[in-house]
Amino acid sequence: MIRTRTVLAGAALCAAAALAGCSSSGPASTAAGSGNGVVTLNYWSGFTGGDQATYVALIKMFNSTHKNIQVNMTIQPWDSIAQKLPEAMATGSGPDIATPDYNVGTIRQYISNGLLAPIDSLLGNGANQVPAAVLPPAIKSAFTVDGHLYAAPANWATLELYYNKTMFAKAGITSPPTTMAQLESDAVKLTVKSGSTVKQYGMAIADHSTIAMWPIFIWANGGNIQTANGCSALDEPQTVAAVSTWANLIVKDDITQVGLAGQDADNLFSAQKAAMEINGPWATGEYTPAHVDYGLAPVPVGSIGATVTTASTVPMVLNAKSPNKTAALTFFAWWLSKPVQAYLAEHAGYPPSRTDMSGYPGLANTPFVAGFSAQSPYARFYLPTVANFSSVDSNVFSPAIQAIERGANVASTLQSASSQLNSAVNCSS
Amino acid sequence: MSQGLARTGVRPSGRTPTARPTAGRRWRKATPGYLFLLPSAAILLVFVVYPIAQSLWMSLHDWSFFSSSHPFIGLGNYRTMLHDPRFWNALRNTAVYTAVVVPGQVGAGLALAVALQRNSLVNKFMRSVFFFPVISALATMGIVWKFLLDPQIGIINHLLVSVGLPDTDFLQSTTWALPAVIAVGIWKSAGFSMVIYLAALQDIPRSVMEAAAVDGAGPWPRFWRITLPMLRQSTLFAVVMATITSMQLFDQVYVMTSGGPLFHTDTLVTYLYQVGFQDFRSGYAAAISWVLFLLILLVSMLQLRLFRFKETD
Repeated sequence: MIRTRTVLAGAALCAAAALAGCSSSGPASTAAGSGNGVVTLNYWSGFTGGDQATYVALIKMFNSTHKNIQVNMTIQPWDSIAQKLPEAMATGSGPDIATPDYNVGTIRQYISNGLLAPIDSLLGNGANQVPAAVLPPAIKSAFTVDGHLYAAPANWATLELYYNKTMFAKAGITSPPTTMAQLESDAVKLTVKSGSTVKQYGMAIADHSTIAMWPIFIWANGGNIQTANGCSALDEPQTVAAVSTWANLIVKDDITQVGLAGQDADNLFSAQKAAMEINGPWATGEYTPAHVDYGLAPVPVGSIGATVTTASTVPMVLNAKSPNKTAALTFFAWWLSKPVQAYLAEHAGYPPSRTDMSGYPGLANTPFVAGFSAQSPYARFYLPTVANFSSVDSNVFSPAIQAIERGANVASTLQSASSQLNSAVNCSS
Repeated sequence: MSQGLARTGVRPSGRTPTARPTAGRRWRKATPGYLFLLPSAAILLVFVVYPIAQSLWMSLHDWSFFSSSHPFIGLGNYRTMLHDPRFWNALRNTAVYTAVVVPGQVGAGLALAVALQRNSLVNKFMRSVFFFPVISALATMGIVWKFLLDPQIGIINHLLVSVGLPDTDFLQSTTWALPAVIAVGIWKSAGFSMVIYLAALQDIPRSVMEAAAVDGAGPWPRFWRITLPMLRQSTLFAVVMATITSMQLFDQVYVMTSGGPLFHTDTLVTYLYQVGFQDFRSGYAAAISWVLFLLILLVSMLQLRLFRFKETD
């Protein structure tokens, strides 16, 4: 009998042990303040790239200077965050702070489902506040929904034109292009072919899985992806004209390899197989170690007569169910303070997320930051208000551009894409 | 004697009914066994049975990660699928891949097994060489082939150009992307079929082959009339396994082409992944997974019937 009971107890323990793994593998819990008055903020972020060390160092800096608030940052891949965060927030087990995605439109899905808390009190002139006027207009506009601010920028970047100085010199081009017309002719000049084989591309233009490069050509020509009311502008004449121009350069002159993802385009420029690329500040961390003799220039001016470029930011949001909202707002304000923004610029190459730091002492050591920062007033987001960004980008815009790069009729392809976009964003006009 | 026993109702064994173990005693005897099964059963219930049931439940709802309410829509997701060109495109690509890779993989495996069946040192080494891709991670092999097929740095393009053939960007060509993925699929899996056939070939009695040779049968008649029929069970196993893995194709495509260019290599599972984990339409993704499950079940049953699989097999 004793033997039987021992066996039963052993089996029950085995079962309990097997199930214990399940109960302990749940998402990170939202930590409320501990007994000693220290508030722990759980923070999920997706900074897995070369800039990770800078973010980790900044969190350490915050924790060492704020004894009553400790930030516990968990870094995980973006797709992992995308899969886990909505469910975790909806079930009340999500982190206090998170960076849901690097596409700004995605936060609208969280907002419409009541998962995020507004952070309006972040803006102001108080001790733990940031003056509203110092945030770049594109950020304020993208993060404001129904009059409420829902995110703070974890970083901020604009795109510039990277050009290979050696290739320019070899082609007899003395300076980077300043107009779109010059960019087009330089791209052709810099494309080197041997029979049907392209030895060197004039540009590396990515068409999917990338920071938006194609919209720049469209915006520079007065076209757009969406109208002010969010409907499609893909079939507008300026949009069609811009895409037609670049489609011709690709189909007839082979100025870029087709079908490039963002990383493929970076690799092409890094391997010195392409002479130009429009890219963000993070790329300096790849091209400098690769010993590419590159220069940076503002994106050339198009027919609208002013420079325009793509903006990029990672929204940092506050969980609606977090019990530590005040502490989180303190962290947000600290993050947007001038010394932190200068540190981010100095160590990760990002321009400051505020517009009042021109001439700030720490920025003098960062050769490229001033250029990227100067583009801030002219930077626009790609599909900033589209909640189902990923679906629209991968099912509508990118396939249309990919088809056009392979010789599809520009007007009819964009017309079809326009209908799809209107359908995706529920626009009936 | 026996008739007499039957009439009197006495059991031949001589055991009286009271000697049978009672239900309670049987249960006590079996309980430790059931309890030892409990950990495995619990794991299966939590990680296999429950997710399967949950996915069926999700497929009947408008289910999104973002929303806490998931309205019941019955077969709505399945009706949406009927009018979804991306689903039909993915189904077509999956069918083409499966239709080419399964015979290619099984045929190549059989050819390799026949060629390498003798136990020489060289053959043993070559078997390892051909089996190596099977044990390598498909995602890793996908990356390797992506480099090999790269138009700028890939050796395949370099070789093609050196013999006067045109420079081709295989993985970005709407014509060549799917054939390239298919070729890598066959290369990756042929070793698996080879191992199955090598084992089966060892089981064919030499006496049968010798008798056929004595009767004047040449190598080809012996192969077609003796070897191949005797490999029927192994062929069935190889074909069913190859079909299931082909219809579930994901990682190789995800790494090599991400379903592109222009969805020309999009498979049911890559599409399912996009719908579920990028568009967050979990209910629709669950419905696609159930359709895939039913398709695999149907095709497997057809194959079993085609190969005249019997219980005795």
